[in-house]
Amino acid sequence: MTESNKQKEATTSLKILIVDDNEQITKMLTTFLELKQHICTVANDGKEGLELIKENSNDVVLLDLAMPEFDGYAVINDLEDNNLLKDRKIIVFTASTITQDELDKLVDRGVNSYILKPIDIDTLLSKIIETANS
Amino acid sequence: MTATETIDEGMFQSDNPIIELNRMLVNYDLTPNQSKVYLFLSKIGVKTASEVSKALKIPRTETYHLLSTLQQKGIIFSIFGKPTKFNAVGIEESLSILVNNEKNRITELEVGKVSIIKLWNIIPKYGSNENEAQDNKFQSLQGRNSILVKLEQMIKESKENILVLGTDEDFKKFYFTEFSELLIKTKSDLKILLDHSGDIPPIFENIPPKKIKKIDDKNREDFCFIIKDDSEVIFFISNNQVKDMLAVWTDSKTFVTTLRSLFSLMWRKSHFVNETGEESILGAEITFEHRLREIEQEKIILNYLQENFERVEILGGNKK
Repeated sequence: MTESNKQKEATTSLKILIVDDNEQITKMLTTFLELKQHICTVANDGKEGLELIKENSNDVVLLDLAMPEFDGYAVINDLEDNNLLKDRKIIVFTASTITQDELDKLVDRGVNSYILKPIDIDTLLSKIIETANS
Repeated sequence: MTATETIDEGMFQSDNPIIELNRMLVNYDLTPNQSKVYLFLSKIGVKTASEVSKALKIPRTETYHLLSTLQQKGIIFSIFGKPTKFNAVGIEESLSILVNNEKNRITELEVGKVSIIKLWNIIPKYGSNENEAQDNKFQSLQGRNSILVKLEQMIKESKENILVLGTDEDFKKFYFTEFSELLIKTKSDLKILLDHSGDIPPIFENIPPKKIKKIDDKNREDFCFIIKDDSEVIFFISNNQVKDMLAVWTDSKTFVTTLRSLFSLMWRKSHFVNETGEESILGAEITFEHRLREIEQEKIILNYLQENFERVEILGGNKK
């Protein structure tokens, strides 16, 4: 972790929304991020996540793509249809076997960045902080 | 045998296209015999009522009645003389007249609707039953029009979601209707599941592809239903013995929930129509690869947390 990130991590408490249907990941990630003094909100399905993203009360959103029924793509599509995608700081956080081209397309559409699972925990945190402060 | 009778025998034989015409004209609010008399006059030309009756083997009194009705509709006219003769208006003009008649009838019905509702509201309700069951209603719908009216009502009233499942064949019956237009305009969350493997069927081509998935299950029994707001459903009944379309509408919670669950299950297993073949294959492999990566991610976070908590515990122990 760079020195500047360490400083930001130390000084700024971020509001982070995690939209992921994997409850194990959301629980553990919440514990980890709260240990780092951040505030987490969790949505275990896309529909609930979309509502929370629309409320715009978070600094950054970690969005899983593969979720039952209302998946991450549906969330992105809806935000795009409502011209909200570029106003929100969204990191696609996925374990899907997705091509680089597809990921680039998501970024072109307005998603801030992407993280492919599995990722080491420090890189994940830096990416969250970097996106929130971008 | 007269010339008219000979012509008539040929005219209404089963292999003559006039039989098909006769059937088609019935859709323009003509009875089969009215249609027969009109086609007879339009192809044979001027005839008396008696000649029409003999040629078409329709009783004379009924023939007079049929000729009078067709005159009222404006598609045949009488020629003064003794006896009175009849002739038909040209087919194109007649079709326009019949279509306009129907349009006028609809307009009159629309106008009449307001008066009926006003009168209805004036009459007090006798023997009202407050405990009347509010759900579990079933309504059988026969014929494309009655199904379409119900579908349009459901789509217009929908506030949350509309789920459509069926084959291209099922929805072909709704070409040239408002059905797809209403689906495009709906503010509800629209999901369409089709078992069409090629391009999007024309009826859905103006609907965003991200709202349409194709069913991969090749062995699926053909069934078709449309759910509105998880509260009402229309499901279609295929019956080869009945020519008309058949469907059942219900707000039965059990039915709606069952079909809703089936839809969700199939939606989850299906792929969007605009997905490339490669994406579909990736999607099929998702469960295994995807799960492995998720488990790996869980392990990474868990390891971190364990190390951290151990450190906290050790630090806590030292303090003691």
